Amino acid sequence: MNKILNYLKENSKITLCTILIALLFIIGNLITGGNFSSLGSTIKFASFTAIFGLGQMLIICTGGDIDLSVGYCATIVSCITAGMMDGKNNNIWRAIIFAIIVGILVGLINGLLTVYTKLPSLVVTLAMSQILQGLVDVYSAGNSIGGKPSPILSVIAAKNTGVFPNIFFLLIIIIIGVMWLLNKTKISIQLVSCGSNAMAAHLSGIKVKKVRVLSFVACDVIAALMGLLLLGNLGLAFKDMASSYVMPSIAAVVIGGLSIKGGQKNYIGVVLGAIVLQTLTNLFVSLGWGDSGKYLGYGLILLLMLIVYVREKVSR
Amino acid sequence: MAVIFEAKHIVKKFNGVPALSDGNLLCHSGRITGLLGANGSGKSTISKCITGVYHKNSGTMTYMGREVDFKSPMEAKRAGIAMAFQNLSLLPELTVWQNIVMGFETRKGLFLDDKDAKATAKRILDEFVPEFDYHRTVEELSPSEMQIVEIVKAISQQPKMLILDEPTAALEQSEVKSLFKYMRLLAQRGVGMVFTSHRMWEVMEICDDVIVFKNGQVVGSIDFDKEEKNADTIIQMITGEKKIVSVPRIYKSIPEDYFMKIENLNYNKILHNITMNIKKGEIVGIGGLSGQGQEELLLAIAGNYADIKSDINVNGQKERLNSPNKAIEKGILLIPGDRQRQGLMMDKSIYENVILPKVALKKEPFIIPKKRYMEECIETNQILSINSDSIACFVSGLSGGNAQKVVMGKWLHVDMSLLILSDPAKGVDVGAKKDMYDFVKKLVDERGISVLLYASANEELIDNCDRVLVMHEGRIVGELKGKEITDETLVELSMKGSLTRREARDNV
Amino acid sequence: MYNKKGGFSMPAFFKKTEFITIVIFLIMLSVVAAMQGNFFKLSTLQNTIISWTPLILLTMGQSIVIISGGLDMSSGNALSFMLCILSATMHEENPMSGWIALLLCIIAMIGIGLINGLAVGFFKLPPIIATFATSYMWLGAALFIMPSPGGECVNWMRAFFKFSSVDNMPKMLKYIGGIVPTGVFLIILACLIWYVVSRTKLGRYIYAVGSNRNIAYDNGVKTAKIQIIAYLLNSLFVMFAALFMVGQNQSGSARIGDPLTLKCIASAVVAGVALTGGRGNVFVSIVGAAIISLVSKLIFFSNISSDYQTVVSGLILLIAVASSSIINAVKSAWAKREVYSDE
Repeated sequence: MNKILNYLKENSKITLCTILIALLFIIGNLITGGNFSSLGSTIKFASFTAIFGLGQMLIICTGGDIDLSVGYCATIVSCITAGMMDGKNNNIWRAIIFAIIVGILVGLINGLLTVYTKLPSLVVTLAMSQILQGLVDVYSAGNSIGGKPSPILSVIAAKNTGVFPNIFFLLIIIIIGVMWLLNKTKISIQLVSCGSNAMAAHLSGIKVKKVRVLSFVACDVIAALMGLLLLGNLGLAFKDMASSYVMPSIAAVVIGGLSIKGGQKNYIGVVLGAIVLQTLTNLFVSLGWGDSGKYLGYGLILLLMLIVYVREKVSR
Repeated sequence: MAVIFEAKHIVKKFNGVPALSDGNLLCHSGRITGLLGANGSGKSTISKCITGVYHKNSGTMTYMGREVDFKSPMEAKRAGIAMAFQNLSLLPELTVWQNIVMGFETRKGLFLDDKDAKATAKRILDEFVPEFDYHRTVEELSPSEMQIVEIVKAISQQPKMLILDEPTAALEQSEVKSLFKYMRLLAQRGVGMVFTSHRMWEVMEICDDVIVFKNGQVVGSIDFDKEEKNADTIIQMITGEKKIVSVPRIYKSIPEDYFMKIENLNYNKILHNITMNIKKGEIVGIGGLSGQGQEELLLAIAGNYADIKSDINVNGQKERLNSPNKAIEKGILLIPGDRQRQGLMMDKSIYENVILPKVALKKEPFIIPKKRYMEECIETNQILSINSDSIACFVSGLSGGNAQKVVMGKWLHVDMSLLILSDPAKGVDVGAKKDMYDFVKKLVDERGISVLLYASANEELIDNCDRVLVMHEGRIVGELKGKEITDETLVELSMKGSLTRREARDNV
Repeated sequence: MYNKKGGFSMPAFFKKTEFITIVIFLIMLSVVAAMQGNFFKLSTLQNTIISWTPLILLTMGQSIVIISGGLDMSSGNALSFMLCILSATMHEENPMSGWIALLLCIIAMIGIGLINGLAVGFFKLPPIIATFATSYMWLGAALFIMPSPGGECVNWMRAFFKFSSVDNMPKMLKYIGGIVPTGVFLIILACLIWYVVSRTKLGRYIYAVGSNRNIAYDNGVKTAKIQIIAYLLNSLFVMFAALFMVGQNQSGSARIGDPLTLKCIASAVVAGVALTGGRGNVFVSIVGAAIISLVSKLIFFSNISSDYQTVVSGLILLIAVASSSIINAVKSAWAKREVYSDE
């Protein structure tokens, strides 16, 4: 029991998140008279956000950067691989390889520009996002995008096993893998040191620039692969299919208590942050506020969390 | 001559450690008072207390007959006491004349009176350095030009008292002469000045009297109107009583087996023609007044400068050490000078900090061998007597001394040939300091490594080094061996920037 | 080392980034004018100015913020928000509603400027992520007021678009309105406002804070206040753009502003405003906006299929923003090279 209490105390923000989630669910149910959305769908969409959030966490951790191009990176992979797979399972490997290549390319451009030209990552990835959006336009050329995902993707992304959406199980596997990688291997300290004190890391022999660029690559590869899963979930590809995940993927990291300046790698926080966000979204939707409430909520919460976090470290 | 300002018994502590325990100063109108003292003697601290950069803990300050306690340099400047800072207070993207009047801009109607501002700048510059293009932005200027602007800025509001904190450090000889000419002009106009410098000849030339600081107190003052200008007297005041060494140091001779040979190393106008050697098993010290390029020399050898163009001979092979990895591969390990900014991840635990270099090494396994690393970390803690409950403690909670030990501990289990220490004992308590240096000497004895040490406090060099090279303005100006290393010789070499080697003094 | 006595030296001007910006603008202008035969005809010029006005106003505001050491990722959505307030409040038959709309819009403008300014200036949050958060707030608020495009505009408010569109305008003004779109006057007004500000302490301190906030603070500058005012000026100029657009379209949409954000940042960078702060010329940023707008025209005229236009435009924006960084890096590397010459 003591161990659990200690863990909760140390990771106070995670505790806060969990309490928040519970509260929101209770309020939601009270307000809507029990018609609050199911736990299952909340977890499903939160899982998507959480996986995008993993990529954001990596680049926030190593250098305080964020990636706005994850949405259209996923979308363009969806669009092109839809035709590739065309509803069959045998082409799925081609699709996966294609996604990885796209992710590497986009990640390299984003990473090299941010790290070597010292441009703000927000501006670089925003421009990249627009370029990718344009490429989607080119590909669709005004028509709707044809093709269907391989059934296996639909199973993972769209279907449930009992109460739980299958994507949740995938998320759990990812969480286990990430926690292992970020706690038991060299990568853990390398990532964290670049964000915590890049100079000290550099003087200790860490290749800071390389680590940062590779983080971008990882982020965009994850986004690209998510494109396959989103396609599996929706059954078809269209232009704005991934845009609504961009902001939440970043907000989830901040709400999860990780410093926007870098140096922290608590993925569980990110997952919980994603769940908080999704619960909030559902609250707004059930109140009838739709998109507007969602965006207002995201922006407000992100701003408040930023202020709260800054207050903790008293500066000038 | 009227007394403009008097400071009595000023005390200033940082984290309980007194930087100034009894500061006294008198400033007369029309007189130039020099402040002298070794690094950390308190001479800078008192100036900063006077102008409100620091808030004094106790003591009185009287200005023009009233008691004062300025909360900021701007407040002091408005009252008539201006200071030209060593760490410049200039805004890089703004022009010279905009910087000169910053905070004191005059208005013509609704708008700023730029004409008046430029006239102010021109007026002073014409008397001080004619033909100075004050339309340039500060970032376009050379370091000496920036210093000139900083001084002009201080003078711009016609202060009654002017404090110049090491103004000549960045200036060329001709510019120093111009500065002195201008200072004499100001003195004629009744301005009282306080002047600090590390160059003895300057102090003797321009000052009317000198106050000497040591260990946070005033240990003497000389009025040049009444007494003779004698450099030796002043040096003796700075170094204090001749030290009675309780345990005479034994200097063993070290075989001529060289680990590193450096010839004509240059870097970026900061280091000039550095030629030196380091033998295996030798502790080489770098001395001199602070800011003479010592830290930069250490960083250069540690591979920190990617754009360095000079080679260093390591173990018989010529190497271009332009990345920390290259240096670390050769066993050249750096304990940097600023532990918070360069040495530690403050928000992480001791354990995570200690294993950082290991994680960067190719030969260490991908999966962290947690058990082994934890054992090594605990061992490190014990060897260095790091005072903490567990290795999971955050580094930010440690005292300066213990934090410094963690910085050192990082390298214990990495192959070591040359340990570079950049002012390791700065801000470290006496006990931890002794532990650190004992440990370093043990490493030398046990592993036969070499050590390159820069310390701003001379006694650390005296107690630990086999040889000391003194630096001045980016060059090596002298070498002291064995018994020659004393406080006196170090101070002399540092101050005079002499190029010849001093004769060995008689042992005490 | 010491140059002339301090006069304006001609060669120095040519080295400045602003000069290059103007040259690029003139070159592009000639190319576009050549491609579009009737470019200098009055009606074409009018349409050009009308289409450029919102970006120019946003760019001017963004430049002020960037010079003060910040950045505003929420410009576009702030524009949408104010536009929606205006068009949702107004009823064409009720001239009074125009005044109410205007009042509400002014309140929103102050709110936007204050929130952005406090976040960056007082709470010292990183400007990029703080305004990233607020941009969603403005977007959400805009969608709340106006979930789908619509709304109305009272007749007198059309004066912000063209004097000639307003029924009861005096003949003189109507005549002027036929020739000069109000956008020009709004831009001139913005220029005047900035001219006055830049000649006062406020203007000087905006540059100071952007140059180095900590050193400015040590020099007695109230950095929080300065940054808040910079963001307020920005939202004021965005409001001008909103007034112009509501007069032009007589309706509003919550999504219309977002694409302008990246464009106005790119415009400022192309005009020589350094993202690091403390440096730049707000008047020249108008030229920057013109360049970015001409790029769109060029793409249009060069017969690249419309599908590719977004891609090319995004690429050019990326190159534009990256190139200033690359040029700066090359400059400082070159400066360092001179240092080695005396070895």
